[in-house]
Amino acid sequence: MLTMIARRLLVLIPLLLVVSFAIFGLVVLVPGDAAITLAGGPDATPERIEQVRQELGLDDPFLVQYGRWLKGAVQFDFGNSLQSSAPVTEEIRDRLPVTLSVVGAALFVAMLIAIPAGIMAGLRPGGILDRLALIGSSIGISVPGFWMAMILITVFAIQRSWFPAIGYVPFGEDPVEWAKHLVLPGLALGALASASQTRQLRGALLDVLDSNYIRTGWAKGGAPRWVIGKHALKNAAIPAVTVLGLQTGALLGSGVIIEQIFSIPGLGTYLVRAIQSQDLPVIQGVTVLFVLMNVTINLLVDITYGYLNPKVRVS
Amino acid sequence: MSRGRGTIARAWSRYRKNPGAMIALGFLVLLGLVALFAEAIMPHDPNKQDLVNAFQKPSGDHWLGTDDLGRDMASRLISASRVSLRISFQVVGSALLFAIPIGLIAGYFGGKIDNFLMRIMDGLMSFPALILALAVAGILGPGITNAALALTVVFVPSFSRLMRGQTLAVRQETFVEASHSIGTPSRRIIVRHVLPNAISPVVVQTSLALGGALLAEAGLSFLGLGVQPPDASWGSMLRRSYDFIFTEAWMMLIPGLAIALTVLSFNTVGDGLRDALGIAGVSRRERKERRGLTTVVRGANGNGDATAAAAAASPTPTLPPPVLTEAIRERNAKRTDESIDASRPLLSVEGLEVSFQTPRGLLKVVEDVNFAIFPGETLGLVGESGSGKTVTSLSIMRLLPSPPARVTAGRVMLEGRDVLSLSFREVRELRGPTMAMIFQDPMTSLNPAFTIGNQIGEAVRWHEPINRKQATKRAAELLDLVGIPTTRLGAYPHELSGGMRQRAMIAIALACNPKLLICDEPTTALDVTIQAQILELMKSLRDELGMAMLFVTHDLGVVADICDRVAVMYAGQIVEQAEATALFHNPQHPYTEGLLKAMPQDTKPGEALYVIPGRVPSPGEHDIGCRFANRCAYAKVECGQQPIALGTADDEAHLSRCIRVHELTLGKAP
Repeated sequence: MLTMIARRLLVLIPLLLVVSFAIFGLVVLVPGDAAITLAGGPDATPERIEQVRQELGLDDPFLVQYGRWLKGAVQFDFGNSLQSSAPVTEEIRDRLPVTLSVVGAALFVAMLIAIPAGIMAGLRPGGILDRLALIGSSIGISVPGFWMAMILITVFAIQRSWFPAIGYVPFGEDPVEWAKHLVLPGLALGALASASQTRQLRGALLDVLDSNYIRTGWAKGGAPRWVIGKHALKNAAIPAVTVLGLQTGALLGSGVIIEQIFSIPGLGTYLVRAIQSQDLPVIQGVTVLFVLMNVTINLLVDITYGYLNPKVRVS
Repeated sequence: MSRGRGTIARAWSRYRKNPGAMIALGFLVLLGLVALFAEAIMPHDPNKQDLVNAFQKPSGDHWLGTDDLGRDMASRLISASRVSLRISFQVVGSALLFAIPIGLIAGYFGGKIDNFLMRIMDGLMSFPALILALAVAGILGPGITNAALALTVVFVPSFSRLMRGQTLAVRQETFVEASHSIGTPSRRIIVRHVLPNAISPVVVQTSLALGGALLAEAGLSFLGLGVQPPDASWGSMLRRSYDFIFTEAWMMLIPGLAIALTVLSFNTVGDGLRDALGIAGVSRRERKERRGLTTVVRGANGNGDATAAAAAASPTPTLPPPVLTEAIRERNAKRTDESIDASRPLLSVEGLEVSFQTPRGLLKVVEDVNFAIFPGETLGLVGESGSGKTVTSLSIMRLLPSPPARVTAGRVMLEGRDVLSLSFREVRELRGPTMAMIFQDPMTSLNPAFTIGNQIGEAVRWHEPINRKQATKRAAELLDLVGIPTTRLGAYPHELSGGMRQRAMIAIALACNPKLLICDEPTTALDVTIQAQILELMKSLRDELGMAMLFVTHDLGVVADICDRVAVMYAGQIVEQAEATALFHNPQHPYTEGLLKAMPQDTKPGEALYVIPGRVPSPGEHDIGCRFANRCAYAKVECGQQPIALGTADDEAHLSRCIRVHELTLGKAP
């Protein structure tokens, strides 16, 4: 198990190198003279342009720039925001817990819906619950999350004020308010993530229930709570967990829009603001962090996978 | 070439039968037409402002109302559909343009090129999808072209991977290797062979990606990075309605609905294509009611004369009397904990009929099966594959999956109770302590996720009130019994060889010391040397524990070795039943004679192996009369005219389903 984790971590090194190169390479994409564009366009003062040029070292050869940036990046130093002049790392540190709260709430909602729905649907394929789950998940996959968010706000925050429409309260300040503020974003983000999760679990359960080892379970005189609850579910969880990893990537992405809608001061709103003002160091820093979060989650998924599927632990 | 066209025609005829997918396709075609002829359809100029008439509710003139600047919503929706659709197609199209060559090259050439390309794709895939698009679009600046470019980058990696995987699979096909070996240039092989065969999943993925691209574009436009005013896409319309969410919430309904319906249609078409092209995926399945218990609907197949005639032909099933050999007596003596009446059958199968639901209706696969197993006795059930042996044995345990299987007639009496009439709970209590089963394939019959110690121990725990520790102790004893070192308690199935796994299966079956052990070809999937070991083990365990056995096999050599009595099955019926020695020395059915002649042990060196001509008829294929008639050397006209009952041959313990049995002299030698 430990060697598996170690091996997975080793594979990450070249991967992150490719990623860092791509992220730093974004600077090449800046239209026109990067210094002028990033300083705010043709209206920027010459002093400001010169300052940006100095700060980003734009006159150096590309690889030198990359080397310098990478050296900073591995120490979580992405330079200063062109906008606020504050270190990007500090600004990220303030916002990371917020985004983690939103994503966590979404995952919680997704599991809360997908696990029972997927199991019910998989146990009685063709039944009413199964059809409902299939229809529900088809809709869930097709509905844009931000539209869902707007509908939720209209119904549950404006028409009847059960939950706050926007904003965020840190957990440390008031746990109850924290949870209340996360309900609608969590629902908007998580309900949709649960759609493909439900389908996955259903399909996996159907396959597993047809397998020979489940027949062995029945032949041993197992009751459903043992054969299905113990034997089938552990195996059906394997593909479901794999998809969960992929899902989380999508969740991080759509979370940006959801944060924007609910005015949640997380990494998403930070990224959007940086994009609007073409604040390159912030864009780079936040993107790196998002990739790291994605990669970490997938690593966790792999570890879970190893627990569920003993075969993976050795090979 | 014609092959390709045939595939498309067949896929289309399958696709047409899927109403949901057809509706979705119709919707998309309609939408496409609306987008193409937007100018002609739009009732108003989508960008014409009319501030006096802002925020109008739907009316005859503005049938979706007007927005904050008094612009006609319906016209804006139509013109936005053009923008939204165009970007989706543009993004997916250009992604394919990059991804197909990348995937083909990586998959076809492999090695360093593959490694290099795929590392880049892995890198791109480790970005959360929208984040990558946001970063690229953010740097390039807002605008529709930049948004499309950013989204293209997002879709390239997944398409490349898919294409590479397909190419790898096709590349290993024999015809491609053959083509390669006769010196066909790589480019020609790729274009002529690999591409057409690898493309199906890509087509499906394209449909799904179009929906994904539409959603992603809506997201970017919602954030203000896509379409710029005054132009609109559905996403930017939603963004605008968001500003008025507190006062004019209805504005967001229509654009959101447009996005959802379109994406739903792309997904439905994709799913429909997947089914039509026969690519495995999560698809619909027929309704399954009860897991782990075969459905019994007696009389469900009582269709007409054939069944009635068969019933008339064998009014009361004749069951041969018990044969109490010394060996059986010894075995019965081993079961000290129960009182044994050796003259009454432990199991009797009476008139068993099993049918399968097929697209053509209920199909009988096993019919008029009668046999009994007495305490301590081992009955061999022999026949070619497809003769119904496995179906019969699984029916006794009620383990055949329903649907498609159901028992349509007969009784399975186990210790005087009809297993086919019992509830799930009652059957469950029989499985394990009274009857147990060993399956053919030890590689898949054990759960890969649990240790064998766990799987053996729970077989005891499910029936006896013992704790975890005691269960582990019992598991260890059972492992020892079947010849696996007890140190392997914590081993997972994949850590064991096939033979070891079958030993573990035997341990599971023996966990509650069953009275009847059903073995369905327990050695078929194993190496020859291991087969002998497992057989020896089963024989000695049977004699030690004294249980009765139903031994299903196609190997007559095994039968001779282990069975007291034998029933031969052919095309769903028992054709002969006798004591093992009587069957071998004095077969009373032409099919049995053929099987005996085909045994390799009796073939002299240099002589050709005997083969019964023809093949086993499939269920539903056979005529009313003798099912073996068309392969039988002794068949006469009357053999095919009426159902033939299983009747006594030379003595009451020897049954045969042959009307000529009294006139023929059968034997091993021709």
